[in-house]
Amino acid sequence: MIANVLLEIRFDWGTVADYLFDPIIIRALRETMVIASLAMVVGIVLGTVLGVMRVSRNPVANVAAGLYVWFWRATPVVLQLLILYFGLRQVIENDLFRDNWTRWRAAVITFGLNEAAYMAEIVRAGIGSVEPGQMDAAKSLGMTQLQALRRVILPQALRIMVPPTGNEFIAMLKNTSVAFAIGVVELLNAAKIQSARNFKIMELYTVAAFWYLVVVSAFSLLQAELERMLAAGERERPETLLSRAMSVMGGSRGI
Amino acid sequence: MSPNTTRNRLFLVASLALVPLLVFAACKDDKKTPSATSTPQATSAPTSAGATPPDVSGVPELQDGKLTIGSDIAYAPMEFFQPGTETPDGLDVALANAIGEYLGIEIEFVNSGFDGLIAALNTNDFDAVMSAMTINPERQQEVDFVPYLNVGTGILVEAGNPNTIQGLEDLCGLTVAVQLGTIQETMVRTQSDACTDAIDVVTFDTNPLAVEDLKTAGSDANLADYPVAYLDAQESDGALEVLSTQLEPAPYGVALRKDSDELQAILEQALQALVSSGEYEQILADWDLESAALPRD
Repeated sequence: MIANVLLEIRFDWGTVADYLFDPIIIRALRETMVIASLAMVVGIVLGTVLGVMRVSRNPVANVAAGLYVWFWRATPVVLQLLILYFGLRQVIENDLFRDNWTRWRAAVITFGLNEAAYMAEIVRAGIGSVEPGQMDAAKSLGMTQLQALRRVILPQALRIMVPPTGNEFIAMLKNTSVAFAIGVVELLNAAKIQSARNFKIMELYTVAAFWYLVVVSAFSLLQAELERMLAAGERERPETLLSRAMSVMGGSRGI
Repeated sequence: MSPNTTRNRLFLVASLALVPLLVFAACKDDKKTPSATSTPQATSAPTSAGATPPDVSGVPELQDGKLTIGSDIAYAPMEFFQPGTETPDGLDVALANAIGEYLGIEIEFVNSGFDGLIAALNTNDFDAVMSAMTINPERQQEVDFVPYLNVGTGILVEAGNPNTIQGLEDLCGLTVAVQLGTIQETMVRTQSDACTDAIDVVTFDTNPLAVEDLKTAGSDANLADYPVAYLDAQESDGALEVLSTQLEPAPYGVALRKDSDELQAILEQALQALVSSGEYEQILADWDLESAALPRD
C-alpha cells in the first residue's frame, strides 16, 4: 500500500532546478525583500511615534493612537490593500492621483501602515518595561531628559523591542504575498503564475518555499547577532550560532 | 483590587468575547445553506430531451447519482452566483443542469480558483470542470475535453477607446489586466514577446478584479472571453466598451480526467441529445449566445 503510493509520486526535480535561479523568480524574490523592507521602515518610524503617543499623558494623543491601532489590527491586511488601492482609485477620479498611486506604492504604504499598529504595541511594551524611577534617577545625576532617554531608558527598552520587531519583519516577508490581490507580483505569486502555465504546482511551490527558507534563515541569524550585541551589558548574553561556532573554533571556554 | 474582583473582570471580558460566537451559532440554525449545490427541478424522468436516457450504471463517477463539477464561479454570464445568494447560475450551469436532468443525476457545482481547477480535477476534488475553459494543447496534455461551445476573446477598454486599440499588436507598451491561468494571459504574454515595447501584464485571481483594475485606470485593457467582456461592458454604465473583433475563436470544453472514458462517452451522448432536441439552442438563446453554438457536423 505505502509502496504503491511511493511509486506513484510524480515530482520533477528538473523543473525545480530550472526555476530555482530563473530571472523571474529572482526578480520576484528581490521584490518581496524590497517591499517588506520599505514597509518595515514605514512601520518602525510611524509605530515609534504611535507607541510614544500611547504612553503619553495627553488624552488626545493617547486616544488617537489607540483608535489607529484598533482599526489596523482589527481588519485583515488584504482588505486594507483592496480599500487603499481599488477603493481609493475608484472614489478619487483624479488623474494625477491615479498616476502616482501605483499598485506598488499602495502595497508598501498599506503594509507599512498596518505594521505601524503592531510596532506601536511593541514600542509601548518596551517603554513600559523600564521602571519610571530610572528617569528620575538619571535626572538626579544631572542628565537632561533627552540624555536620560538615550543613555538609560532606550538601551533597556530596545533590548525588549528587538526580538518581537524581528519577528514582525519575518512575518512581513511572508505576508507580502497577499499584495497579489492588487496585481503586485512577489515571490509566491511569481511561482504561482509559472505553475498556472505549466501545471507544475508542487515543483514551483517548492522553489518558493526554498527561497523563503533561505531569506528567513539568513535574517534570523542576523537577528540573533543583533540581540547578542544589544545584550552587551547583561550578565548572561544569549548564545548565537556564530558565537558558539567562534568559541568552538577558538578553543576558548565559551562565554 | 482584590484577586477576586480581578477574576470577575476576567470572566466578564471572556463572556463578552463569546457574544459574536453565540450570534453566529444562532444564525446558522434558521438558514440552511447547502452552499453551491443546485439540483435540477426534476431529477427523475427526462423531459424534452426525448429518447430513452443512457444507462449511467457503468460510469464510476456517477455511482452516487451525482456529478460534481468544479468551476470558478465569478465569470458572468458563463457562471456566477445569483446576486445575494450562493446559487450558481449562468450558461455553463444551465447546460450542466440540462445534462443532469437528461441523465437523471444530480449536479453539484464546487467553487474553486481558475488556475487550480485542472490540478484539483486530477486530484479528485471533483469529477469534471465546467468553467468557460477553452480547449488548448497545454491543457489537453493534462485532461480530456468534451467540447460544448465556441467562443473567442474580447478586448475590453475604456469607453471611447483612448489608446485606439484594434487588435493584439496595439497592446504593446500598454498595461493589460487578465485573469491568472487563462488563455488570454498566454495570448497577451506571447504578444508581449513580439513587441518592441513590452506589455505590462497584470494578473489577478479572478476576472472581476482585472475589470476593476481597468475601471480604476490601473490598466488600459482587459482581455477575457467575448461573452464575459461583452456583459462587463454592458454593466459598466457606459464606462467601458468591448471591441467588435473577436480574437481566436476556440471551443470551450468540459474537462475530465484522462481515465474518465465512460463519463466522457456519456456526456458526449447527453450533449448530442440536447442538440437534437433543440434544448441546447434554447439555453444558448436564453443567454443571448446563439452565435457561440458549436458548428454542427
